[in-house]
Amino acid sequence: MDIYAQNILDRYKNPLHKDKKLDATASRKEANHSCGDSIEINLKIEGDKAIGYSFAGAGCAISMASADMLGDLIHDMTTDEILALKKEDIYEMLGIEISLRRSKCALLSLITIQNALIEKQEKLKSWTDYI
Amino acid sequence: MDFKRDFPIFKQRPELVYLDSAATSQKPQIVLEAENTYYEKLNSNIHRSAHFLAEEATLAYEATRQTVADFIGAQKHEIIFTRNATEGINLVARSFGETFLKKGDEVLLSKMEHHSNIVPWLQLKEKIGIVIQYLDIDENGQFIFDGSQVTDKTKFVSLTGMSNILGSIPNLKPIIAAAHTKGAKILIDACQLAVHQSIDVQQLDADFLVFSAHKLYGPTGVGVLYGKEGLLKKIPPFLGGGEMIQEVFEQSFTPADIPHKFEAGTPNIAGVVAFKAAIDYIRQISFDEIQKIENELTTYALEKLSRLPDLTFIGPKKAENRGPVISFTMQGVHPHDIAEGLSQKDICIRAGHHCGQVLMDAWGLPATARISLAFYNTKNDIDQTVKTLEEVHKYFT
Ligand SMILES: Cc1ncc(COP(=O)(O)O)c(C=O)c1O
Repeated sequence: MDIYAQNILDRYKNPLHKDKKLDATASRKEANHSCGDSIEINLKIEGDKAIGYSFAGAGCAISMASADMLGDLIHDMTTDEILALKKEDIYEMLGIEISLRRSKCALLSLITIQNALIEKQEKLKSWTDYI
Repeated sequence: MDFKRDFPIFKQRPELVYLDSAATSQKPQIVLEAENTYYEKLNSNIHRSAHFLAEEATLAYEATRQTVADFIGAQKHEIIFTRNATEGINLVARSFGETFLKKGDEVLLSKMEHHSNIVPWLQLKEKIGIVIQYLDIDENGQFIFDGSQVTDKTKFVSLTGMSNILGSIPNLKPIIAAAHTKGAKILIDACQLAVHQSIDVQQLDADFLVFSAHKLYGPTGVGVLYGKEGLLKKIPPFLGGGEMIQEVFEQSFTPADIPHKFEAGTPNIAGVVAFKAAIDYIRQISFDEIQKIENELTTYALEKLSRLPDLTFIGPKKAENRGPVISFTMQGVHPHDIAEGLSQKDICIRAGHHCGQVLMDAWGLPATARISLAFYNTKNDIDQTVKTLEEVHKYFT
């Protein structure tokens, strides 16, 4: 049996950024109700940079691995750079083919981190921005 | 008897193990042929044109209405064709609800209703301020009911005949009786129930009942709403347009008689015509036979699944008072990952909240995996699934 690529399975089983303690300055919860994935992303922002990342939650291997790998991806990025991330960046980060039925699993962490950053602004991202 | 032979999809995809029939069933060859034949030989608009072709099409469409009426023990004009069960519930919530309910009146649902039997009532709540109450569900998927949940304020009760999440078949009799004693009307969501046992609306004493053709071996885009004649006559049309009127003037209209007053616009004629073939097909096999096969498969699946490590059934653990729908979770493996692992071996199951978020929240479950069987499934389908589930479990733990 070989359901997912090894990198996905590894990060799902042994995450690096899950449930880490953090003095968060921004945080946001999002869920894919229909599949039962939910995550909370906590960010520590200093100046215009994200200097700390942690997530909590439960979900399928793709959603959890994606949230964990996102912690590496955004390391040292500015908030503008994070907000400019596209779904293609996430797919590239995951390094596996993402089918339509799994796209929400893969992108849940992206929409969560971006909404954490723009929560105070008028327009939150919605799924129609991506799918 | 190998029923898979009747279903072309299994010829096209010989490896397919389809365990998602509660979402939609596969379609037998004769249903596909009936739809095709309609387009090749009868295609024209019904109830309208004064030519022979329209007459033949109308007769074919109305023949299905008679077949559906016989199927559930109703009169022909008590059968309304909709797009799906969801539309039928919306019709009742709007046409009955807005006419007979007022602010503060209670509508009683249960926590294991499908979203399509919750949201139309929530919309009515937003519109006119009804109060929505829910029956709790016990671990066998039965309603927790002691009579007190139907009160003097209860004006409508809308309940499932079989849970699409748990597979349980709840005992409706005492609730229907209590509702009627208080003068409340009751709708039964028979989407799942109608697929697995014969229904007699007289015996049930349901005021309204809905189901969808696509779960009952028929085409998509056809639903059935049954309503008692007296009630259907009293409630206003839901949608307006052609077909549903008697006369139209500049400032007013008179609706047609039932059932046509609820069938605005050109319906899914081909789908309705083909649905007759589906009902004829299952009546020919008989519910006795279907139940025998499905019970045996369910008992077999429960037994095999119960031996898997870390597997928990959600809902009834035995084959009694249930249909062939089995929900479960596996410690350490998210339902989506279970479905993905099975999918890679050509096995289709459903994972998620199954349009039953109220129950999932009440029971603190983010998601479950769900196997749903039909009489065309085999023990071999179950063996393959259980073997793959074992591999999926090993892969993740
Ligand atoms: C119990 C129940 N009610 C209602 C529905 C809605 O059926 P449809 O989508 O065909 O309207 C379903 C199907 O998913 C169901 O299982």
